[in-house]
Amino acid sequence: AAAGLCRCCALLRHRGALRPLCGSVRGLAAGPEMHFGFQTVTEEERREKINQVFESVAKKYDIMNDSMTLGIHRVWKDIFMHKMNPTPGTLLLDVAGGTGDIAFRFINYVRSARELQLQRRLRHHQDLSWQEIAESYQEDKSSSLGDSQVVVCDINKEMLKVGKQKAQHLGYSEGLSWVLGNAEELPFDDEKFDVYTIAFGIRNVTRIDLALEEAFRVLKPGGRFLCLEFSQVSNPLLSRLYDLYSFQVIPVLGEVIAGDWKSYQYLVESIRRFPPQEELKAMIEDAGFSKVDYQNLNWGIVAIHSGFKL
Amino acid sequence: KMAAAGSLRRAGWRLWRGRAAVRCQLSPPQRALRASAVLRRVSDEQKEPFASSSQQQFDSHPTDHQPGQEPHGPRPSYTGQGGQESEDYESEEQLQHRILTAALEFVPEHGWTAEAIAEGAKTLGLSVAAAGMFCSDGSELILHFVSQCNTKLSELMEQEQKLVQLGEAEKKPTDQFLRDAVEARLRMLIPYIEKWPQALSILLLPRNIPSGLNLLTSMIDDIWHYAGDQSTDFNWYTRRAVLTGIYNTTELVMMQDSSPDFEDTWRFLENRVADAMSMRDTASQVQSTGEAVVQGLMGAAVTVSKAESSQVVR
Repeated sequence: AAAGLCRCCALLRHRGALRPLCGSVRGLAAGPEMHFGFQTVTEEERREKINQVFESVAKKYDIMNDSMTLGIHRVWKDIFMHKMNPTPGTLLLDVAGGTGDIAFRFINYVRSARELQLQRRLRHHQDLSWQEIAESYQEDKSSSLGDSQVVVCDINKEMLKVGKQKAQHLGYSEGLSWVLGNAEELPFDDEKFDVYTIAFGIRNVTRIDLALEEAFRVLKPGGRFLCLEFSQVSNPLLSRLYDLYSFQVIPVLGEVIAGDWKSYQYLVESIRRFPPQEELKAMIEDAGFSKVDYQNLNWGIVAIHSGFKL
Repeated sequence: KMAAAGSLRRAGWRLWRGRAAVRCQLSPPQRALRASAVLRRVSDEQKEPFASSSQQQFDSHPTDHQPGQEPHGPRPSYTGQGGQESEDYESEEQLQHRILTAALEFVPEHGWTAEAIAEGAKTLGLSVAAAGMFCSDGSELILHFVSQCNTKLSELMEQEQKLVQLGEAEKKPTDQFLRDAVEARLRMLIPYIEKWPQALSILLLPRNIPSGLNLLTSMIDDIWHYAGDQSTDFNWYTRRAVLTGIYNTTELVMMQDSSPDFEDTWRFLENRVADAMSMRDTASQVQSTGEAVVQGLMGAAVTVSKAESSQVVR
């Protein structure tokens, strides 16, 4: 038995030795070395692997989010929306928006902001004549959203499918559109959007600098870039607990709930590989954004980065 | 197959966008010099040392674009190169001031809120998301407005002083001067009077109190300065305290005044200033009495100490 094991080990070691060889031969064509979790792969491989990860997790994505973060991700996204504080009439592009969490929150926020606006206008109108009030009703009656719109863009068809189903189920129809696209090469014209958001998605982008440049391109002058992402925890004690939880609990949850250990292993590893707050801030500034700042949530487990195209 | 389709699609997008070829040539150092979309050139004169063909092919963005202008200077940012900061372009602060000034005209309709700021940004050709640069409760807008009003008041008083120096106008007595200054300053609130109570309550939030107080005290200082106050003693404090009290109470009266052109407020102001003037006389009386008391005490202390020392000697 021991001999058998040894032979298996030898084979594995062989394969391990072969892979970098193959990699380097293929590497000339397939691009530079990148990280996929804690593995090292080429660019092409990385895109392919991430594609597979999200294809397999799409259906259970929301359930897994809730169980992994104990529902706290909802609070994070709410805080994110409050930070954005959109006014009615805002055009939002939500990249890697997959299942639509940010988009739905945006619609709710803008709807209530619009109601407040209309109420205020009515109060203002109490000094006007009946004629003027009637005229103003003619103008206002169209939009409960005040012409706000959100475009959800995702690279993965499965995630978009889940998102559309959710929208139908929850009754969101107005002001929402779904587009298949790559964050590194957005299928939109220049200077179209007021706000660009990417929530828990930029970690999976292979060339973050390209994605940031695309964000800069499609934003109007004065537009805002917002990024919600897992980041580095500086407190050492908390960091130990967080690591323990991430590496011991989350993949197990993945296996139990979604039947997919590896994808959640990738998730946890990719969080560790993602650049820390200051580095991401520098990258955002390099892309051309001004007034770049970040806010830590939960001591750095999650961070919101914000920048303006000025 | 997927790779081929992907690359075809990518090629299609590139052609369609038309600028990708240009952008591909950009290397990171050049990107940092890319022209800002919004921050205007303040001066044309400085020649662009890094002008390259790739930069000139960039579309000039429509906002604040002056035709026939040479592109484009280095961008003023903290990642900027070699300390060339805000020489050619207005700084972010100046842009923020412009947005806030533009937002003021929407305050009567929207109140002191992020919405007013968003509307203001829209008039400047910016996206409504630019309002995210400021606090969501509108405190920055209010502070900006107050600071603007104070500046205007200073200018008015400066002009008046010049006229007096040139001999074209007579120097007003102090109480008249104070009344006119406070009235002029309060009249600047009239277009926003409906929403001003909201502003006052926001200014009372703990985090706004330092800046609000700062603005208030510097305005009062200014008024006393132009009123000819040269005091270097305790009077300086009493005068500021008195005028601050007059200003605040008059402002509150103005909030719920419904008389035509706020007559009641100005009458209230007149009475308060008159009170203050008469109080000043009383105060100087009190002061001289106080001085007499102090001198008496000092004399008593000297006598006691001399008596003690003479006792010791003996």
